[in-house]
Amino acid sequence: MPTRTPPAVNPPAGAPPTESKRPHVGTRALVTGAVQGIGRAIAARLAADGALVAVNDRVPGPRLDEAAAAVGGVCAPADVSDRAQVHSLVARLGEKIGDIDVLVCNAAYMTMGDLATHDEDDWWKVVDTNLTGTFHVIQAVLPGMRRRGRGRIVVVSSEWGVTGWPGATAYAASKAGLISLTKSLGRELAPQGILVNAVAPGVTDTPQLRVDAEAAGLSLDEMRRSYAAGIPLGRIGRPEEIAAAVAFLTDFRIGSLAGQTLQINGGTSRCRA
Amino acid sequence: MRSAFLEPSRRRTALVTGVASGIGAACAATLAQAGWLVAGLDLHNSSGESTALALTGDVSDPASVREAVRLTESRLGPVDALVTAAGHYEATAVDDITPEQWTRMLRVHLGGLVNPVRALLPGMTERGGGSIVAITSELAIGGGDDGAHYAAAKGAVIGTVRSLAAETAARGIRVNAVAPGPTDTPLLAPDSPWRAPAYLETLPARRLARAEEIASCVLFLLDEGTFCTGEVLSPNSGAVI
Repeated sequence: MPTRTPPAVNPPAGAPPTESKRPHVGTRALVTGAVQGIGRAIAARLAADGALVAVNDRVPGPRLDEAAAAVGGVCAPADVSDRAQVHSLVARLGEKIGDIDVLVCNAAYMTMGDLATHDEDDWWKVVDTNLTGTFHVIQAVLPGMRRRGRGRIVVVSSEWGVTGWPGATAYAASKAGLISLTKSLGRELAPQGILVNAVAPGVTDTPQLRVDAEAAGLSLDEMRRSYAAGIPLGRIGRPEEIAAAVAFLTDFRIGSLAGQTLQINGGTSRCRA
Repeated sequence: MRSAFLEPSRRRTALVTGVASGIGAACAATLAQAGWLVAGLDLHNSSGESTALALTGDVSDPASVREAVRLTESRLGPVDALVTAAGHYEATAVDDITPEQWTRMLRVHLGGLVNPVRALLPGMTERGGGSIVAITSELAIGGGDDGAHYAAAKGAVIGTVRSLAAETAARGIRVNAVAPGPTDTPLLAPDSPWRAPAYLETLPARRLARAEEIASCVLFLLDEGTFCTGEVLSPNSGAVI
């Protein structure tokens, strides 16, 4: 087999050009549910990549102030399940920082229970926060994206939206609905230069884990180990790994991903989303 | 554990197949740009602009692949990543596919994954880490006209990726796939139906994917998709959703 070794032309490791290091310079991003967990990591990553980030939480207050300050962003309080609040927020953001061109729909609410006995109002609150709330936020930002002539939307779904989960009917239904919403909007909006995709994280190391641990009567570490035992890669995910995928899917240099759901779960689901 | 993923001081090495043109060439360029040391393998001579080592060989031939891996490891050191982009396409109606055409498709695409994986797995296992990305196709998911042998071979790649992912995760090895839609490369002939404006109008993104976009997906899976394994990324302009 003939071989040859040309002179090394590769740049030194860890020194890619500035543009690819900070692909979101000039981007104005709205991240919902961004004071903790995955949303917070996404806000931090987009800010590190150069974006000005509007940090959303359900209510204003010191928690939101701190989270926005941490990423050099602006506070964007609104309950995503309240249509009027969402539209009023997006209008205010438009005046304050300009039209949003990157939207990350991450805000979610979750309770579990047997379908037959799950409190009816609470069941619908899960669906109306996760699925209807996402609908409200996307509808609110679309006119601004059209004005800017570009848009990237990432919907944070869940592994359970792909696989289903016992005792999580409302959550799984809402997250599966988000995948189908993503598929439809992927088709509907791509011709306008607005690309909609989703991520479906598996078990991720966020404050939600503490809730799971308490429900299971385990310590936080025991809970992590228990989940990790069922994951091929042998550990649970980190919020930064989900954030990296969101940064990738919102990169304006990539225009051929539309309506897709990227699964980030350590190899667990073995499904096509 | 002697994985380069845990040793930032050593430059990571990737073996990329099908490096002479199209998606393979774009992968080599993108990886080199991101700091990877790239060994390229192709049936044809490649320019070597992005590669630290350019090898000529046939991915469908296990002996040829073993020799390429041996040369890569002796010249560049342990291989941390494998990208299989070598491909072959021909439009043929199902009635007309000859046994030779069928077998060649399987040997190039499925053999093009399994042969280098078999050569590289022992080293990756010993070092406790590695990352593999196979280029498959949108046609493996959605099927299409006049390419049953191509779709079968690319579908087999996805099945292999998912199984390898499950089987090797505990060794710290991640295995993923990228399933491009029609991409603007030499594999698409100038008169290809996928270049026809009427077809492009049916795509939500209204255009072919670019080889650089496919390469960005590969780079994401190697560098940042550290909790992704057994996953298939689909930069296909919305052809299959």
